[in-house]
Amino acid sequence: MAPGQKLYPRGTVKKIIKAHSNCNVSKNVDVTIFLDYVLFMQTLMKEAAIESKQGGERGITARSVRKVTEKTLAKFKG
Amino acid sequence: MAHEGRPTANTGTPARPAPVSGTPTSTARPSIAIRTPGSQGRGLRSQAALGLSASGRKPAPGPNATPHARAAFRTLDSRRAAILTPHRARRRSLRETRETPRSLLLNLGRVLAPTTEPITTSSSSPGSARSSETRNADTILEDDDDDEEELPKRPRLSLPLDADDDDDSPLRPHRSAGLEDENFTMQSIELPRRAATEQPRLSLASARMSDYYFNANELRSEDVGIDSGFFPQAGAFEEDNVDFDAEAYDRLDSDAARADMGGRYSDFGMVIPDNMNESTFVMVPQVQESPAHQPPPDGDDESMGENEPFDPWDGGDDDMPPNPDDDGEGGGDDDDQGHLSRLEDRSVSPDGGRSSPRPPETDLEATSSNKDASSGGKVTKRGKKLSKYGIEYPSLPPAVVKRLATTFAKTSGSKGKISPDALKAIMQASDWFFEQLGDDLQAYAKHAHRKTIDESDMLTLMKRQRQTNAQTTPFALAQRHLPRELLQELRMPPPPPTKRQKKGNAGAEGDEDVT
Repeated sequence: MAPGQKLYPRGTVKKIIKAHSNCNVSKNVDVTIFLDYVLFMQTLMKEAAIESKQGGERGITARSVRKVTEKTLAKFKG
Repeated sequence: MAHEGRPTANTGTPARPAPVSGTPTSTARPSIAIRTPGSQGRGLRSQAALGLSASGRKPAPGPNATPHARAAFRTLDSRRAAILTPHRARRRSLRETRETPRSLLLNLGRVLAPTTEPITTSSSSPGSARSSETRNADTILEDDDDDEEELPKRPRLSLPLDADDDDDSPLRPHRSAGLEDENFTMQSIELPRRAATEQPRLSLASARMSDYYFNANELRSEDVGIDSGFFPQAGAFEEDNVDFDAEAYDRLDSDAARADMGGRYSDFGMVIPDNMNESTFVMVPQVQESPAHQPPPDGDDESMGENEPFDPWDGGDDDMPPNPDDDGEGGGDDDDQGHLSRLEDRSVSPDGGRSSPRPPETDLEATSSNKDASSGGKVTKRGKKLSKYGIEYPSLPPAVVKRLATTFAKTSGSKGKISPDALKAIMQASDWFFEQLGDDLQAYAKHAHRKTIDESDMLTLMKRQRQTNAQTTPFALAQRHLPRELLQELRMPPPPPTKRQKKGNAGAEGDEDVT
């Protein structure tokens, strides 16, 4: 399940969150953030796959992803 | 029913089987012999095997049977049927309820017309000596037959198909009529204001119906033919011309249709003078003011011709509220309408003669470019974006996103292929996700009077997202989803601060290495 062996760019995640929150980010939060992001991606892709299957598309398309994005984001609203 | 169970029916029973046994017919014999076996079920089965009816007898006692024998058979059959029919209580009750109205009618019929017999159709069996019950059954059967006969009538739904053909012809005029009605109403609404200004132009109304032919002809007076008016545009602006031509032809049709419908047209004729005023009025100021407004005639003609197809409806409507002098405004509107297409057209085929219309276009271009910049203003030169706090931030590298997406797409059942479009959408979604995450984390941190986003904020967030609960700890989630290297640095959920500090240092070093 672990997506690949390569680590994600921790600094990038940290920068993104810092820019969005205008707060400092403590040392290891980015790991949890990335974990949350992984969960988000999982949900997103699952929903997109379902959506694309319902729409009779082959594979995951941008349309299905876009359709599902809002729902999934709402699900991950804190 | 009691005697059925007896082993020897022909010998023992004096009352019932007496007539049966008394009849010397061969038909009665086997039925009795069959009836004798002990259990009813077995008897039924054997009868079924012999091809007898469920009542245990041959349906009719036969021509040789005496009336007594027939009556005895009938009673026996009815009894058997009463016994052997499953759910007979329920059936009987239903039957009663069902037959009450009919029995009333039957009784009435017996009283009123005792001698009449039911009309026997060819389909019904000619049993004249039947009891009332059998007659009922026959009538029911006949009713059923009637229903079946009526069935084939239903598929005659094909009739509407023919009607459709008829409908098609009315449809076409109807559409155009509707369009005309809209236009006319719009024009008719405008009428009162216009009417007062210019009435001498009524003479133009005679040629009227081709609204914008008129405009085109008048505007470029040199152009004699309608086609000549249109085709140069086609040469100049290809894309626009297609649209314009289409519109032009539609309008031609509508005009023709209008002309065809003499009645309506005449009805409008009462109103038309005003209409004419309006249309002529719309055209006139353009003609008059165009020279003053636009020094170079060539470019103006082209631009006007380009916009012409819009004018009769849109331009006229727009001009309505202000007074005829607002040609400049009308031109501005036209520019707004055609400016996008013009921009494209100019990029495709720039015209040398169109020097004058350029200034507004350049302005529009500038504004549009500004709009683009504002819409994409988040993106800085290095492909980074600006958050709402004005801080630059990169987006997650597409490779990482794609890797995650493919993994999860595979696990979610579909093929792991993700088109570039889909990847773009996913990137957009993840950008939004991080934005939302940052907002939430900031809210939590601020609520705790901190200026630093902490682990606890993230844990709270995940709890609120219902990602973690009593069953799934964040650590379990991490174990499931994160590579081991990250797990090493994650062991924090409720750790003492000193421990976290140590691992934080290790993680920080790792951070710098990775990034």
